[in-house]
Amino acid sequence: MKDLKHLIYFENLLQEADNELVKEAEAEGQKCIGTQCSQVPEVLINLPGSFSVRLFAPRTGSIDIGTYYMTSLTCEYCRAVLERALEGGYQFLDAFIDPCACSQHTDLADNIEQLEACTKPGFFMLHMDTPMKSDTNGINHMYNQCKKELLPAMASMGIDTSDDALRKAVDQFNEMCRLLKEIGDHRKADNPNITGYEYYVLCLATYVCPKDKIMDKLRETAEELKTREPDPDAGKKYRARILLAGSEVDDVNFIKTIEDSGALIVADRFCFGTFPDREEIVLNDEEDVLFQICRDAVIKCQCPRYMNTDRILERKQYIDRLAKEYNADGIIVQQMKFCNFWGYERADYQHVLPNEYGWPVLSIDRAYSSGASGQLRTRVQAFIESLEIKKINKKKGVVNA
Amino acid sequence: MKYYGGCDVGSTYTKAVILDENGKIVADTTLKSKINPTESAQLAMDEVLKQAGLSTIKDLAYLIGTGYGRNKVPFAEENISEISCHAMGVHVTDPSVKAIIDIGGQDVKGIAIDTDGTVKNFAMNDKCAAGTGRFFEAMARSFELSLSDFSKLSLKAKNVIPITAQCTVFAESEVITLVGEGKPMDEIAAGIEMAVAKRCFVMAKKAGATDSITLTGGCAKNGGLKKAIEQVLHLNVIELKTDPQLMGALGAAEYARQKGAA
Repeated sequence: MKDLKHLIYFENLLQEADNELVKEAEAEGQKCIGTQCSQVPEVLINLPGSFSVRLFAPRTGSIDIGTYYMTSLTCEYCRAVLERALEGGYQFLDAFIDPCACSQHTDLADNIEQLEACTKPGFFMLHMDTPMKSDTNGINHMYNQCKKELLPAMASMGIDTSDDALRKAVDQFNEMCRLLKEIGDHRKADNPNITGYEYYVLCLATYVCPKDKIMDKLRETAEELKTREPDPDAGKKYRARILLAGSEVDDVNFIKTIEDSGALIVADRFCFGTFPDREEIVLNDEEDVLFQICRDAVIKCQCPRYMNTDRILERKQYIDRLAKEYNADGIIVQQMKFCNFWGYERADYQHVLPNEYGWPVLSIDRAYSSGASGQLRTRVQAFIESLEIKKINKKKGVVNA
Repeated sequence: MKYYGGCDVGSTYTKAVILDENGKIVADTTLKSKINPTESAQLAMDEVLKQAGLSTIKDLAYLIGTGYGRNKVPFAEENISEISCHAMGVHVTDPSVKAIIDIGGQDVKGIAIDTDGTVKNFAMNDKCAAGTGRFFEAMARSFELSLSDFSKLSLKAKNVIPITAQCTVFAESEVITLVGEGKPMDEIAAGIEMAVAKRCFVMAKKAGATDSITLTGGCAKNGGLKKAIEQVLHLNVIELKTDPQLMGALGAAEYARQKGAA
C-alpha cells in the first residue's frame, strides 16, 4: 500500500505534547487547555480563541519520579503524565481542567498543582465535579458544573462563551468528526485501505493538536483514501479483524505491535478513541445550547465511571454493535494497569462478551508505554491463531468442545 | 518419505523436532540458546537434520518456527506462537490432556486445549520473571546447586518454609537471609517450589484448567515443582511420554506436517 501522504507529519505531531501546532496556536494568542479525561465536554474547551490538548507523555521511559509522588499502585498514565509535568513538559498550558472523574486523575492534578509543575503566567487549575450516573440528575449536574464553573473559567481567559461561540465550536467539532468518520468508514471494507495504526495516528492527533490546524491535512487524507489501493498482501499480514476496547491508548506503538502480530484493528472503543468521542453532536434550535452539549456528553459517554445498571449493560451492547458493524472476528480488551474503573470493566467484559455475546476476547492489562513486549506479541498472535482456527473449523463445520 | 520440521527458539533453550509424514519423531534436539536467535535456530536445525540423515533445511517439506525467536528461524515457511504449538504438541503426545502449565525461560503460561489440539483459552504473565525458568536459575544459583539437584533437594523436605517475595531479585535476597538464619536448605527449596506453584495456580485457573494438567517447558522436569503444583492445584499432573521440553517444537512440526500435507 502506498504510504499516506501526511502520515509522517501526523506521527511527528505525536512526538511531543508541546508539538509545532500547539506552539503555533499559542503564538497566535490562542489559549491552551489541558485535560487528562474525556469527561470534560470537549467543545467547551475548544471555543473560538482556545484549544484543548489531551495530556499525554510520548516516549515515556522511566516513571520513577511519578511513582515517588503517586505510589506504584496508581495507574501508569497518571504517573507518566506527572513525571512529564515535573520534567517541564506542560509549561505551555494556560489552564488544566480536571473533571475529577477518578481519584487517581485527581491525585495527578493535585500533584501538578502542589508541585507547581505548570508555571506559565496566569496558569490555573479547575477541578470540576462530574456525575457518576448518566441520568437526568447527572445531566443537570454536568450542566450546572459547566455553566457555573467551566464557562466562567474560560471567560476569565477572555474567551467568548456565548451561544454563538458554542455553536461555532460544535460546528468545527462536527466537521472533524465527519472527516474521521469518512476516513474510518474505509475500515469496514473487506480489505481496508487504511490500517488501524494509520487511523489511530490521525485520531490521536485530533486530541493533542489545535483542531483548526489539522483539518486541511485530514481533508486531504480523506480525499487520498478515496483512491488509495488496499495492500494486496493484507490477507497474509492480517489474519483477523479486531475491535480494540478499553482504557486510553496514547502509545500508538501498542496498536502497531498488535497489528504486527497479525490483527487488523478495524474499530475501537477506548477513551480518547473514535467511538463515542468522535461522534457528531446534533443540536436543535429550541433548547439551550449548553444544556444540549452537556446532555450529549453525558448520554454518549461510555466511561465505566457511569454506574447506573442500564449504562453498564449498554456498554457491552455498544461494543457488540460496533464489532458487528465493522465485521470484527474478535475483541481485544486492554486496560492500563491499576486503572480502577477499567479494572472492573475489563473483568466484566472478559466474561460477558464471550458468554453472552459470543465474542472471542483477549484481555490484556498493560503498561502506559508498551515498549518491545515479546509477551504482548505472543499473546496477540496466539489469540489470532485461535480466531483463525475457529474460522477454518466453522467453514468445515467442525464443532470443538 | 516427506519430513517436517518445528523449531522452538526459546529465551534459554532452542529445541527442534523433525517428524516423518506419519507424525513419528525422527530427530530432536535441545541446545542452549545463543544471544542471536537465528544462530540458535541454525544450530538446532543442523543437529536434527544430521540425526534424520537429511543434508539441508530444503529437504524438509515444511518448517515452522515458534518461541520468542519464531520469526528468526531461517527458511521457515511461517511462524506460530508457542502457545498454539505447546497445545498441539501435547495433544499429539497425549490427547487426553486438556490443560497445560508451560514454564519457559522468561514466561509462564496456562493453556486450555480444545478437542482438536487448538487453544481453547490461555493466560500468560507479563513483563516479570517471577515463577519462570529464570527465577529457578537464580534460586538454584543462590543455593550453589544445579537445577536438577535443587529439585531433588526440595523433594527431601518434610516442611515448607514460605517464600513471600515473588520478584526474582527479592526472592533471592529472602533466600539468602533464610540461609543465613540457618533454616533447613531443603525446606527453603520446597518453599521456592511452592511459591512458583502458586503462580502456576493463577495461570491454570485463568486459562480454565479443571481436570488433569500437564507441565511443559524446561521446568516440567523439576520433580519438586510437579509435587508442589499437585498440592496447590489439587489436580493430577500427567507425565508426558515425550520430553516435555520439546512440546513447542513438536507442536510446530505437527502444524508443519498438517500444513505441508494440505
